[in-house]
Amino acid sequence: MSVWIGSMQKHIEGFKELTTYNDIVNIAAPKEIFIPLINGVSTAFEVLVKEGDRVFVNTKVAVRNDRFEVPLFSPVSGVVKGIKKIMHASLKPVDHIVIENDELYESTISIPHLDLEKATKDEVIEFAKVAGIVGMGGAGFPTYFKYLTPATLKAVLINGVECEPYITSDYRMMENYTQDLITGFTAMMKMANAQEVHIAIKKSKKKLIKYIQEAIKPYPFASIKEVDDVYPMGWERTLVYAIYKKRYVKIPCEVNVIVNNATTAIALGQAITKQMGPTMKMVTVSGNGIKNPANVFVPVGTPASHIIAQLGGYTDENITLVAGGPMMGKTMTTDAWVVTPYTNAITITKTEQVDSMTCLRCGTCNDHCPAGLLPVRINNAEQAKNVDMIAQLNADLCIECGLCTYVCPSKLEVTEGVRRAKRVLALKKGA
Amino acid sequence: MKFQFKVSPTMKTRQSTQQIMMLLTLGLMSVVLFSSAFYFVEYGMNYVVHLWSLLAVAISVAVASEAVWAYFLKKDIVKYLKTSFPWVTAIILVLMVPISTPLYPIAIGTFFAIVVAKLMFGGFGHNVFNLAGVGRAVMLFSFGAAIMPDLVTSATPISSIANLGWVVKDAVQLETFLAQFGGISGLLFGWYPGAIGETSALLIMVIGIFLAVKNVLDWRIPVFYMGTIFVLSALVAAIQGLGIWFPLYNIFAGGAMFGAVFMLTDPVTNPTSASGRILFAIGAGIITMLIRLQGNYPEGVVFSILIMNMLSPMIDRFTDGWQLELSKKYVTSIATLSVVGALLMGVVGFNLQAVAIEEPEPEVPDITLSSPIALDQSASATQGVVLSSSVDGDATVVVVEIKGYSVLEGGYEGAQPNKVEVRVNTSTLKVVSVTVVEIKDTNNIGTKVDNPIFLDQFKDLDQTGSVDAVSGATVTSLSVVRAVYAALEHVKGGE
Repeated sequence: MSVWIGSMQKHIEGFKELTTYNDIVNIAAPKEIFIPLINGVSTAFEVLVKEGDRVFVNTKVAVRNDRFEVPLFSPVSGVVKGIKKIMHASLKPVDHIVIENDELYESTISIPHLDLEKATKDEVIEFAKVAGIVGMGGAGFPTYFKYLTPATLKAVLINGVECEPYITSDYRMMENYTQDLITGFTAMMKMANAQEVHIAIKKSKKKLIKYIQEAIKPYPFASIKEVDDVYPMGWERTLVYAIYKKRYVKIPCEVNVIVNNATTAIALGQAITKQMGPTMKMVTVSGNGIKNPANVFVPVGTPASHIIAQLGGYTDENITLVAGGPMMGKTMTTDAWVVTPYTNAITITKTEQVDSMTCLRCGTCNDHCPAGLLPVRINNAEQAKNVDMIAQLNADLCIECGLCTYVCPSKLEVTEGVRRAKRVLALKKGA
Repeated sequence: MKFQFKVSPTMKTRQSTQQIMMLLTLGLMSVVLFSSAFYFVEYGMNYVVHLWSLLAVAISVAVASEAVWAYFLKKDIVKYLKTSFPWVTAIILVLMVPISTPLYPIAIGTFFAIVVAKLMFGGFGHNVFNLAGVGRAVMLFSFGAAIMPDLVTSATPISSIANLGWVVKDAVQLETFLAQFGGISGLLFGWYPGAIGETSALLIMVIGIFLAVKNVLDWRIPVFYMGTIFVLSALVAAIQGLGIWFPLYNIFAGGAMFGAVFMLTDPVTNPTSASGRILFAIGAGIITMLIRLQGNYPEGVVFSILIMNMLSPMIDRFTDGWQLELSKKYVTSIATLSVVGALLMGVVGFNLQAVAIEEPEPEVPDITLSSPIALDQSASATQGVVLSSSVDGDATVVVVEIKGYSVLEGGYEGAQPNKVEVRVNTSTLKVVSVTVVEIKDTNNIGTKVDNPIFLDQFKDLDQTGSVDAVSGATVTSLSVVRAVYAALEHVKGGE
């Protein structure tokens, strides 16, 4: 953020009041649930059950078997009906394990017990791996892997910023599972061999700050870092810069910090205390397209359509349905996709037709790009199919946060242009 | 149930280009209202009518040109105009010209700006040069001298100080010079005639702050542009030993503030990166000051804008890349450009010299002389009445009342005679000088005789001489001749 570059961030209307104060709705699993065999962009999974097998709550049903190890657990008891390819929230058709719910919820234990007091750093990291803890903020990156870094870490930064509009699931998780949060970040501190835990929360969330401050009083190593209510404050780079005034090239470990989402810490805490994997998920269902916006607590594998029906359905015939928040989530053309362990929101808005017009070269996108890129120049280069220039403009550093499209007064799809440029660049690198 | 597909993000800011242009129009219209108020209070309604006529002509030409263009492109005319904003250019152009500009130059300037500089380049968003700037340049070169005959026009503060060579060191002279605009604070408030919309630096600044807060324009451009002008002129002031008034004069007078807020900030024609816009603004500031102090044309704002517009694509290429990685390069280049500007201004500052001030000569209206009148020819005619006579050294001063055109020809009821003062050398009995005290004949006709071209003819004449009458005012000329004859008679008789 500077006079020379621009603000690199912007306050965005949050609409968070829709789901911050009302009741959390517990949604029971439907008759059939679908466990998506995907993590991040990888669909390399070994399926551990076969058609006809009876599974229990917490039965390990599959495990990612490429570079990373990520197990998936069943949230219900029932019978495996097979594997079905359906549309996933990443807009790709993906294999899902279909389990018929017998509604008995008989459970088993698939995760070993961890004595956090006595465990070594490596033991906690191994535990995070077998418990299937992934980044719950939306990306789903395997948590254990971050801690395998040889870097010296001073602090664990718990990201409770939640900068996407509408989403309040982290807020509600931190509010309702504070003890698990504390267990989680204590374990993370152990994994990182760090001395401090910093919890980043937006200044504007005064009530939550006060509440968490009270709760962490017995833990002198933990403190709250208040940050501005701007987008994308929740992005690691923006957050690390806001708090520590430091920039890094690839990962925050370079500046001796490791960043984890608050809900990830809670999931780890729950895995330690309850010996259960991430099979239940808090999901914010909000927007003017849903009758009763609320946070729902649902089993992983529940179709969006089931959740939406429980919240009174849509408010309009023509809606825009987004898996995730309105900035980075993917727009879905169906509601037949399911909740993954790292789905944090379903945003439903009435469709609004917006007319775009010629770019007036105002450069607002350039001033706001949190990655320090020049989106309008990348768009120009992409339209001119100038690959060298796209490379010079470092289009591959774009995280697709969507801020350039958001701020564009001419209503152009700037982010999409950068996405195309990234694909051009990836093709060139591949060739 | 219909699920609309759209690439992410699905949420967009409420601000639109249309809103930006409406706010800009609002800002410009505030300046128009201020100027209307000024001309109404100080000069009267016909000036205000002319101002709004200029606006009406410029806006009509702009809108009509684009409508015709859209028609030939087979586009929906209303939709085309709504996303092309032709009126903005028209209003800016009107605000840059003096009130005495006739209607046809503004029409041609607007047409050129819209059709050549905008539409031929591909329409809104594709023009290379600031449109109003192009229109103004065309008007300056083609119709620089065109002024409305009935409207008074005054020199702008910048051209006034340029006439003095910019360097005014004498305190008394400075005070009288600044007094014509009401001092530095007068320049700030802008209650003086100049270009229609460029006078009130304060008003434009307030509008600029409002537009910057509303994200209509980038604050960097006016701040760095005005900052550059201020610092560079302060440097010149320091070198020349001028006071703080000099940099203040440079930022408050003339079109700098107007150009900074309404023209340099035109996003279409300035660079797209923040650091690029800073380089752009500093560059424009340096060029403005160079043109002001060294150029043949006193006001450098328009040309500095057009020159920097040309460099915009180059600046964009220069700042291309990953901004976080390049921030050092940005800071270095901004610093380098500032140093270069300061050095240039240093050289200019040392070489500036005050222009010797000549007492402005009273203006002599052009008259032509015709048939000669002999002085003694009037001996037989109506004599003048000597009102007074006094001795002043060698001379006798005689004031004569004489019937002029209005009395002799029965011009109107209650017509009065003219009065002429004649200075006669008492010893040689020759005329020393003739001065008109009062001419009661028709204004602009009879009064033509009060002109040195005519009156100087009497010098050294005695009663045998003759002078040429003023064309078109023969009768009044004759009355002056008779008065002179009567005065000579009086002095001769008095002996």
